[in-house]
Amino acid sequence: MPRPAEIVRAKQITATEKHFTLKMKDGQPMSFEPGQMLEVSVFGFGEVPIGYASSPTRTQTFDIVVRKVGRVSGAITALEQGQTLYVRGPLGHGFPLDKLRGHDILIVAGGIGLCPTRSLINYILDRRSEFKKFTLFFGVKTPQEQLFLEDLAAWRESKDVEYHETVDRADEKWKGNVGVITTLFKKVSVDPATRVIICGPPVMYKFVIAELDGIGVSRNNIYVDLERRMKCGIGKCGHCQINDKYVCLDGPVFCFKEIESLEEAFR
Amino acid sequence: MNPTSHFLKETNLDSFVEGLMKTATVYAPVAKKNSFVFSPISSPKEVRLDYDLTILPPKKAIFPVHQELVAFGPAGASSSIKPEPRILFGVHFYDIKAIDMLDLLFRENNVDWNYLAQRENTTIIGSNIQNVSKRAFWATVGKGVKPRGHDAFITKLKEGYLFEVLTPKGEKLLACGKFMPATKAQVEEAEKINKEILDKCPEKLSHGSHEIAAKVRATFKSKLWDELSRTCFSCGTCNIVCPTCYCFDVQDNWNLDQASGQRARAWDGCLLEDFAKVSLGAGACENFRENRGQRYRHRLMRKAAYLNEKLGGPACVGCGRCSAQCVPDIADPVRIIETIMES
Repeated sequence: MPRPAEIVRAKQITATEKHFTLKMKDGQPMSFEPGQMLEVSVFGFGEVPIGYASSPTRTQTFDIVVRKVGRVSGAITALEQGQTLYVRGPLGHGFPLDKLRGHDILIVAGGIGLCPTRSLINYILDRRSEFKKFTLFFGVKTPQEQLFLEDLAAWRESKDVEYHETVDRADEKWKGNVGVITTLFKKVSVDPATRVIICGPPVMYKFVIAELDGIGVSRNNIYVDLERRMKCGIGKCGHCQINDKYVCLDGPVFCFKEIESLEEAFR
Repeated sequence: MNPTSHFLKETNLDSFVEGLMKTATVYAPVAKKNSFVFSPISSPKEVRLDYDLTILPPKKAIFPVHQELVAFGPAGASSSIKPEPRILFGVHFYDIKAIDMLDLLFRENNVDWNYLAQRENTTIIGSNIQNVSKRAFWATVGKGVKPRGHDAFITKLKEGYLFEVLTPKGEKLLACGKFMPATKAQVEEAEKINKEILDKCPEKLSHGSHEIAAKVRATFKSKLWDELSRTCFSCGTCNIVCPTCYCFDVQDNWNLDQASGQRARAWDGCLLEDFAKVSLGAGACENFRENRGQRYRHRLMRKAAYLNEKLGGPACVGCGRCSAQCVPDIADPVRIIETIMES
């Protein structure tokens, strides 16, 4: 059964994305790992899978970001502070923290791929000493699609993360890099032993992986956060299958080496 | 427990079924126009143990076509799962195997109580196959996988029935009828009947499960899938009639008051065009299995390869429902697999 969560903060952060901070009504803290997800529902409209956008190191509340694309997400994004969402979770497997600790980390986030990775980014920043060099790439189509502006401003100034951003198409105000996300690889030197996390639109993965292959990053050390159509979230209903894997159960975070041979994983 | 064997006279079958009906809702094969269906019965006279195949598999008594999961309203939400005692009477061995697979799949990892609640309240009585359907191939598929999970099994003898009790749940059924201890000759007669029927399948696979799984998996990138699926309507009938398919969709529906409603699940099928489609907003979408050939291939991969390790054999029991009900007649696993094996 889905459990009620109160919206303690709701903020429209782009034309289509709304950022919610939630608190479980039963007072129980939500314990999860970065990269895991939850099913979020409004009764009468339905349920959708959403990744946690906050770090579990900050436990009293948790964040999600919902893009308005259809019936359910439309109903969710119509809600405001004080109203109730129903949630089931945490679900699936998140980022393998044990395999990331003690290493250089590169996160490559495209568009709303920054939402689930923000959970890991803040986790790393909160436990900075557990990780070595930390680099973050963030790319969007246009400057208007940038999310978490306060976070981005902080990361630009931060010494804890080497932050690089790009837009596919600039406007007059944009002074940063212009080009697809892979153009950021020219700006940094990535050690081949770096652990890399990729999350973004389906088209982005193969180009980023080609760059990493060029650098010599082992495919064992590349983790991808995938999306598929999902209904049940518990590995039964079949919609999210990639060959014989269920994204909701075996993922959504996969080690690239483990799924590169799956024909349906990338196109 | 050790299985026990009992004998039921022909004339006592109806009173046994009546006895069962006093303890639970009984689902049994009944005639419907020129076919058979599993249906709750209101009289023992309806039962047709001589059926060859039902349109839909008996899983529907446990995992209904449409199942309300949650009722919601202004006051909140509550579970709609209310299991009732049910007896599935007259299930052929291939459908028993299929239910056993669903039991495992719904139980593993995250337990699906929406399924298990009714499963645990269901008693299954198998029956021998008296008539063989035209496209059956149950004798040659997943031979290593034995039927399990049923509570009793009834075999029609030349005179009367042999009733084998396999579980404590099955043992309770003995109180519903006038049983006598079975003789050794009756037990042997039933064994012979159930063994001989295996030679009567009209369709046969000529290779073993391991060999098939390996070859099918290796043909993933073959052009065969597009060729074989050229006349596919993407109607999903092969999924809907399959006893081992268990994918479902979940939808919310409002009542007329627009204040209350239900969250319900319904059978879904991977052959349907929208099955793996996600919205990207602004009318754009991404379909992870866009082509018919990809969807057609996915079904066969699921039946012949993907689940084999978990299930100990293919996720196909050879009932032949998909073969018989596919309009362009391209869903027959025997024909597909034989084509692949020869490729």
